[in-house]
Amino acid sequence: MSRGMIYKLFFILFLIVFSALLILPTVGTKGMEVKFAASATADDIEAVKKRFSSEDYELKLNENTIVVSGRNITDAIMNEIRIYNGVADAKLLKHWVEETFLAKKINLGLDLQGGMHLVLQANFEGIQEKIGRELTEKDRNEIAQQALELLRNRIDKFGVSEPSIRPRGNEAIEIQLPGVKDPAGVKKAIGTTGRLEYRIVDDKYSSLAMAWMKQNYKDKQLPESYDELKLVIDEMSKSIELPGTLETLFFYKRDKDTGAILPDYPIVLQKEVSLLGTDIQEATVDRDEYGQVVVVFKTTAEGAVKFAEATSEKNHGKKLAIVLDNKVRNAPNIKETIGSGSGNISGGFTYAEARTLARIIKEGALPVDLKIIEERTVGPTLGQDSIEAGIKAFLVGIIIIMIFMIIYYKVGGFIADIGLILNMIFMLAILSLLGFTLTLPGMAGFLLTMGMAVDANVIIYERIKEEIKKGKSVRMAVVAGFERAFWTIFDSNLTTLLAAFILFQFGTGPIKGFAVTLFIGILSSMFVALYVTRFVYEIISLNKKIKKLHI
Amino acid sequence: MEKTIDFLKYRFVSLGLSIAIIIAFGVIASFHGGLNYGIDFVGGYKIIVKFEDKSVNEGTIRQALSEFNPVVQQIGEPDKNEYMISTKLASATESVAGSTTSTKFEKLRTKLTATFQNITVESEESVGPAIGEYLRKSAYKLAIMAVIMMMLYLAFRFEFKYSVGAMAALIHDIVISVAFCGMMGIEIDIPVIAALLTLYGYSVNDTIVIFDRIRETNEIKSKQIFSEVINKAITQTLSRTVVTSLTTMFAVLSLFILGGEVLHNFATVLLFGIVVGTYSTIYIASPAVLAWEKWRTK
Repeated sequence: MSRGMIYKLFFILFLIVFSALLILPTVGTKGMEVKFAASATADDIEAVKKRFSSEDYELKLNENTIVVSGRNITDAIMNEIRIYNGVADAKLLKHWVEETFLAKKINLGLDLQGGMHLVLQANFEGIQEKIGRELTEKDRNEIAQQALELLRNRIDKFGVSEPSIRPRGNEAIEIQLPGVKDPAGVKKAIGTTGRLEYRIVDDKYSSLAMAWMKQNYKDKQLPESYDELKLVIDEMSKSIELPGTLETLFFYKRDKDTGAILPDYPIVLQKEVSLLGTDIQEATVDRDEYGQVVVVFKTTAEGAVKFAEATSEKNHGKKLAIVLDNKVRNAPNIKETIGSGSGNISGGFTYAEARTLARIIKEGALPVDLKIIEERTVGPTLGQDSIEAGIKAFLVGIIIIMIFMIIYYKVGGFIADIGLILNMIFMLAILSLLGFTLTLPGMAGFLLTMGMAVDANVIIYERIKEEIKKGKSVRMAVVAGFERAFWTIFDSNLTTLLAAFILFQFGTGPIKGFAVTLFIGILSSMFVALYVTRFVYEIISLNKKIKKLHI
Repeated sequence: MEKTIDFLKYRFVSLGLSIAIIIAFGVIASFHGGLNYGIDFVGGYKIIVKFEDKSVNEGTIRQALSEFNPVVQQIGEPDKNEYMISTKLASATESVAGSTTSTKFEKLRTKLTATFQNITVESEESVGPAIGEYLRKSAYKLAIMAVIMMMLYLAFRFEFKYSVGAMAALIHDIVISVAFCGMMGIEIDIPVIAALLTLYGYSVNDTIVIFDRIRETNEIKSKQIFSEVINKAITQTLSRTVVTSLTTMFAVLSLFILGGEVLHNFATVLLFGIVVGTYSTIYIASPAVLAWEKWRTK
């Protein structure tokens, strides 16, 4: 063996080991930690234990937590457990591979783990009527963005964690909620418009609340759901002896990576509402004379009076909180009395931050009501049945292909089968790295690629057979076979790649999943056939005595 | 040397056969009222329900919901007692007239839960007319885009005449497959569109290997008659064509039999498409190249 071949061998072995590691979080055992509240009774704990009593799961009991491990633990199951009596929190534990290599894992789509998928659109006709003019495309775009902001703001109302909210196209919004238990409640939460109000901040009690948080909640993660946060607020308000005229809310910040709105710190406001969302007429992003990004707003005639009152001298130096659906989203300082009905908010915003703020203010001025234009809900049993059917079809399909290859190509078929298994490992590893969401069509795409993956081997083997028939030696035939087959394989696969790419452009989720598996499957099968299998044959033909290839 | 099979001899027979099949499928499809678009494309409501009451059957469900004119179909294993109930929007205007789409569907659901006790809703889908419209448009756009991109690629990598051949086979495959859906009354939903678009890739993939060989043989022995070159190329690659079709078929067949209800239509269309794709690779694509070449050199 030459030095080059030894390097090649190590490279291939490294790829196999690394890929095998990467798929561990996906195919291996997953863990979930269920934390019980102090008030949880023995029955509550028993109920959770009973839920995981089947052989698929293993339980480990600690003081007030249970760690459940098993293969099919999903976000949907986590969300199911979260609403059990006495359960304070449930979260999926990260696999050590995920921790060490910052890898991701393949997630199950809603059609496989159960959940709710919604597509929403703003009611453009209603808005058109209100503002009395035709909406331009830019208007519609902006309204859709405003609706997106509104939905992110009330994500906790959907009662699930790991939700996904993202724009679909320019005008629609797609929401994915794994394992949702109360679809009607979700629809209701979406159907209502946002409530925006402006209230004066009480600095003295705000700093007391902050101090309390620092002491009691130093390292702890704040709960995301409003109901749980309310418990924290109640406890805090009691201990700082909050007067009845004031109320504690949380200031929310946007997570830069996920776009999610998360509670950041407590802030104490007057209960009295200074201005309503409808008192403001318009808000836009602009730059002031110093070139700073600011949000410029204009009040209604009625609002101007209220605004002058709210910004009168007694409130100078105080903050005016902007509260959307009980979440404080901004709290600018009041510097001077604004009597003219228009002013601006500055605060070292980035352009994106300012735009978000303008959208929030607009939500008060011109609430967007949303209509559901597409809804798909899959129950947990159907999802489980689909997975089982999919896995069965996959295994049976692949075994038949492998047996066929061995019968037809003998040793060559065996080598192709090893290639097929490697192909499967590489594909799963890449999909894991991408944090891919596996849907039912995605599983079908996976199986289909396996069927087509052997094509490259078939082309090569048939070519080698022909070369041997022409009278070439085994060694020469192998070299010629691989060389001649290369461009054939390249061209034929590229057209399938084109088809997969076009499928990917076809907006909807499940089809995208199918396209991605097809795309990656083709790439990885080309690599395996043209690089790994070729290497195996190079090693075989090192043996100069070989007279006959079993293909 | 192996004997070359004269595939091209049958080119007019196969052309006639294909046309006859398309017409036959088309006629049967038109008796069904044309293509059966699923709720993904026309808007509508679909619900999968499991009934505890074993006496429930398709007839009783249809009767109870007669005002909604639903399609009721039992799915899965018979003893599971699971039914898929769907109703489409009769027209895009239906939703505008008075009640919104969602309330119509909510009425159906309420009626269902009121009439039958102990039911479990396994899944529920409702699609508004706007989405259906949007999806239909983008599906057509994609179909056309895919043809253009593949033609360009083939014209760039091969010669234009091969582009013509591959596209003839591709369009042949898609038209027959769509007609097949019409004939079988297969609902055109998103997975079926995915299957059709996969056939794009499969059909061309299958064809290219033969074209590649025609080109290669042509370059070596340019004095041969073109039709002989084609016959030779098809013969030489025949075992590859058959083996690859078979392995892909194994995969799809196991999806068809074991893949469950949701993927059934998807697998049916693929299964049919792969058979047709293999046939057209031999009997449509190559004759089309020959026809183009003859027409051009006339």
